Amino acid sequence: MLRVRDLAVGYGAEPVIEGVNLEVAPGKFVSLVGPSGSGKTSILRAVSGLLTPRSGGIELNGSSDSLGFLFQDDALLPWRTARENVALGLRIRKLPTKAAESEADAWLARLGLGGFGERFPHELSGGQRKRVAIAQILALKPKLLLMDEPFASLDAIVRTRITQELLNWVEREHLSVLLVTHDLEEALTVSDTVYLLSQGPRARILASYNVAIPRPRDIFASRKHPNFAPLLERLWNDMSGAMNGAEFEAQR
Amino acid sequence: MNRYLENVAVRRVLAMVLLASAWEVLARIGVINPFYAPAPSEILRVVFSLFIEGTIYNHLEATFVAALAGLVIGLALGIFLGFAAALVPLVADVLEPIMLLLNAIPRVILAPLFVIWLGIEISSKIALAVVLVAVLIFFAVYNGIKDVNQLFVDRVRTLGGGAVVLLRVVSVPSVTAWVLASLKVAVGFAFPGPCVGGFVAAPRGLGYLLQFAQSTYNAALTMGLIFLIMGFVLVLFFCAEVVERWLLRSRYRGTDRRVT
Repeated sequence: MLRVRDLAVGYGAEPVIEGVNLEVAPGKFVSLVGPSGSGKTSILRAVSGLLTPRSGGIELNGSSDSLGFLFQDDALLPWRTARENVALGLRIRKLPTKAAESEADAWLARLGLGGFGERFPHELSGGQRKRVAIAQILALKPKLLLMDEPFASLDAIVRTRITQELLNWVEREHLSVLLVTHDLEEALTVSDTVYLLSQGPRARILASYNVAIPRPRDIFASRKHPNFAPLLERLWNDMSGAMNGAEFEAQR
Repeated sequence: MNRYLENVAVRRVLAMVLLASAWEVLARIGVINPFYAPAPSEILRVVFSLFIEGTIYNHLEATFVAALAGLVIGLALGIFLGFAAALVPLVADVLEPIMLLLNAIPRVILAPLFVIWLGIEISSKIALAVVLVAVLIFFAVYNGIKDVNQLFVDRVRTLGGGAVVLLRVVSVPSVTAWVLASLKVAVGFAFPGPCVGGFVAAPRGLGYLLQFAQSTYNAALTMGLIFLIMGFVLVLFFCAEVVERWLLRSRYRGTDRRVT
């Protein structure tokens, strides 16, 4: 679905990331973890075309229309109602207003927000805004979802519920996902493959881990799977090592 | 404490009434010289007689037409130039220094120049109001577009929106808020145009009438006209507020609704 080859991103003398290779196979859930400042977000922005890479290649199976980008911030347009926000992407793809709005309503209903179409973003809770943002992306029927710590701002209960719902949707529709997160447990519960990035600048991929936990997954049950704890420990140790290494280098 | 006194509006009206009464009493017993500060009742009488004799309408019309025309043309010009400068770098290079200069000086000093160029009739008054308003609105639009939230831009671009879509769904709505925030200030700027223009040279208008009142040392007429202009500006403020609330209903609406 997506293949990133030898990617370097950044301005000035030192690139943020360098020599990054990764792959998202069709229908696979892939996560990128790493210390903050490792350029995880830069990789997503380069894949989505918001950032022009310094060098390297991004091969996308399908047009850019097959991409959906879920941001850390919900970034809904405050002057548009929930319905108008969801319909925006459909309107950009030339769907007539009426059709786009009824499609938007259907998506809002699917995400448990039936009857909230007339509300403006400031009239919704954080979790509801996030659901509107998800509806906005899913309505465009993306094949590959890019997610940049999408649920970081939510409280634990809402976060767990929305993550599970999105996970169910992704599994049912066989979507490919590239998720950026700093939460190692979250990465392991949802992913098939986890990539670990080193500390930036010149961050690169240190290792990749296959998560052998069967699907469909349940967020709580996955944590109790016998493969989970050893993998988490390995990932944790490697990440600590990466961060300590960087600190030693900085001191020298 | 009386519960009516806890209401801000009640307290404000009460303060005004007290001030006016004190002024009236002090003027009548001769503590204040009525030649400089005539009693409120005298000012009211002068203003009423202006309306009853009908001499005021001609002047009011001249000032109002000039202020409103200046406001509308100034808004249009400011919005147009603001967009042009924000979208075309060459236009910004040319316009920004001129606008910064015009913004730095008290623009009413241009009044004599406009009288020389356009004559003493209404067009010189409109021109002054246009310059006063347009510079203000230009900066609201120009800075508004430059400061558009990058998150919204990224959002719309990843949804597949190009430059035209961005302008329509992000830039214009963001700038609307900025322009509306400046609208009330713009109303306050539109009136000095015709008034100061009237001091310089004019056959009619409130500025001309004020100039006349001052040259005849008529304090009652001067104060009456000042209060009259205040009243009209307040009415226009109210209209601007109504327009603002309607256009920004996405912000105002629901502030009294419980968010669940």
